[in-house]
Amino acid sequence: MKNQVRLLRSGRRWTQEELGRRLGVSRQAVNAIETEKHDPSLDLAYRIAAIFGLAVEQIFENGHADKTQDE
Amino acid sequence: MDRPTKRFLVANLLFTAGYLAVTGVMLAGVFLGPRYGILHPLTGPVRWGMSLCFGLFMVGQLWATLVLIRDSDEFVRGVLARQFILASGLAIASYSAWGFAEVFAGAQHIPGFMVYFLFWLFLGAVRPFVRSTR
Repeated sequence: MKNQVRLLRSGRRWTQEELGRRLGVSRQAVNAIETEKHDPSLDLAYRIAAIFGLAVEQIFENGHADKTQDE
Repeated sequence: MDRPTKRFLVANLLFTAGYLAVTGVMLAGVFLGPRYGILHPLTGPVRWGMSLCFGLFMVGQLWATLVLIRDSDEFVRGVLARQFILASGLAIASYSAWGFAEVFAGAQHIPGFMVYFLFWLFLGAVRPFVRSTR
C-alpha cells in the first residue's frame, strides 16, 4: 500500500527504530511498511496516524476509493 | 535482536541440546556401549521412553515458535507464519514423495525422524526469500 510514512518520519528526523519504539513495533515492521512489503492492520494504521496527527487516508493511499465511486 | 527472538533462540538451543543429549545416550546405550562392553544395552521400555523424548523436544520447539509468534509484532508474525508454513509444507511434500518412491520405485528407506531435519533445512532455505507479508 502506497504511503507517506517514510516522508513523515524523515520530516521529524526519526529513525525507523525510533518510530518503531513509539508505535510498539520492530524496526523491520516500519521498514516493511515504508517499502510496501507489509500492509499494516487497521489498528496499526490508526496508531501511525495518531503519532503524526493526521487522518489515516492522508498517510495511506486508498486504492479502493475509485472503485467505491464507480459503484 | 529483540527480546522475543532472544527467548526463542535460547529455548530452541535448550531443546536442541536435550535432543542431542538423548541421541547421544541412545547411541551409547543401544549401539556403542554394549558392542564394546562398556554399557549394558538399554531395555525395551527405556528405548520407548527415550524415543518419546525426541517427540517432546520437538513439541517444545513448536511451543517456543508459537510464543515467538505471539510476542512478535504483526509484520514479524506474518513473515514467520509464511516461512513456517512454506518450510513445513515443503518438508511434508518432499518426504511424502520420497515415501512413494520407496514403495513404488525401490528408493532407499529414510527414517521418519528425518522429516524434522528436512523442515529446518527448508526453513533455512526459504527465509532469505520470504521477507514480506504480501
